[in-house]
Amino acid sequence: MNSISLYINKGSWLNRLHPYTKLLYILTAILVPLIGGKLWLFPVMITASLCILASGRILGKAMPLVLFSFTLILVIFLIQGLFNHDNRTVMFSIGVITFYREGVLFAVRIGCNILNMLLSFGIFVLTTSPQELVDELEKSGFSPRFGYIINSVFQILPQMLAARDVIADAQRSRGMETEGNMLVRIKAFLPLISPVVMSSLINTRERAIALEVRGFGRKQKKTWLYDRTKCKWDPVVRGILVFLLVLVIVWRIW
Amino acid sequence: MGKIFKTKFTTATIVLIPACIGINYLGKLFASLLKLPLWLDCIGTCIGACLGGPVIGAVCGAANNLIYGLTTGDNITLVYAFTSLCIGLAVGILARMGFMSTFPKSFVCALGGGLAAVLVSTPLNIIFWGGTTGNVWGDAVFAATQAGGMSVGIGSLLDEIVVDVPDKIITIIIVYFILRGLPRKLTALYDVNAKTERLD
Repeated sequence: MNSISLYINKGSWLNRLHPYTKLLYILTAILVPLIGGKLWLFPVMITASLCILASGRILGKAMPLVLFSFTLILVIFLIQGLFNHDNRTVMFSIGVITFYREGVLFAVRIGCNILNMLLSFGIFVLTTSPQELVDELEKSGFSPRFGYIINSVFQILPQMLAARDVIADAQRSRGMETEGNMLVRIKAFLPLISPVVMSSLINTRERAIALEVRGFGRKQKKTWLYDRTKCKWDPVVRGILVFLLVLVIVWRIW
Repeated sequence: MGKIFKTKFTTATIVLIPACIGINYLGKLFASLLKLPLWLDCIGTCIGACLGGPVIGAVCGAANNLIYGLTTGDNITLVYAFTSLCIGLAVGILARMGFMSTFPKSFVCALGGGLAAVLVSTPLNIIFWGGTTGNVWGDAVFAATQAGGMSVGIGSLLDEIVVDVPDKIITIIIVYFILRGLPRKLTALYDVNAKTERLD
């Protein structure tokens, strides 16, 4: 079954780590350069994330995430390098286009921030199954109803995607154009999406009844079928991360 | 005013939320499949807001971005969780005030949603990306305003308006026609003013 989740189980130490520890890592990776305020902290955290990804043997899987942001970073470089308000010092010129030092520096900072965020999130996303995250959230007092919402998205989406393919084929076989100029493509949008949307909304009624019958609305405390095995690295990693955060705050205040 | 925010947290509304999140994803997918220069990624949020009210709309919006951000690695989405929340809230409030009842009125709803998106996204764009949005048309506007010497704030605001307002208008038109076609037995599930009549 195709899933939108990028989770891969490689049995590495990253997979065994508690989801909260990985969330704490994201927080640390983003906050350290922002609190520290120095540009060199970005490459340090980016390298750290790359090393962690490599240690979990998922470096290759993380690359599409980085490529995805490439256009965004490129646009920021162009716009800031050319038109930033603080632009004074000329860095280099290509023909009539002149890049300025201040704007490029600003763009480097933003670009590093984006890369840093992407990679630290990549660690979490690639090594945590949504099911595990939901279970842990529920165990720490999160409402099971919201847990259901998250789990259910992953069950509904493959169904909807399958329905989408069927409908796209059906509409094309009736002679609907899905390629061509903008007007043709805009006109194709409604006949493509409305049958899927309609049927999935109508299905909610039956799903609600089915859930009610199985005691979804009950208030009793839930029990779990699976117990997660404790990872000995959790307290160590959390300790290091909290230490880093405290260190950077103290360093900044001094 | 209390009636506008009245929400039924029944199983039906809980089930509606994942369906709406799925619809958001489909909208975005079709928009990129047909290479439309729009996002169309909040159709579900708007449906949720119109059916379940502002609270459900807000939950749909926020949950949508959080779930996709934390599972598909698209954490650019994560930044805009608060934007989605506000779109859901704004559309939900306007829908409860009766601005989804006729086709001309729904444009007010679309403008409300678009405005909410613009007001929340602009500061986020400036903080995270220095003012750009990642949309070709919007960024062209931003580049033009910057070259013309306007401030980053105004440039980014125009950038957002050019992209978000048409996007929300088209979204609401789609939502309007979809809601029109839904059977009564479904919409009755979400009607807050419905009374159960007992025969005993």
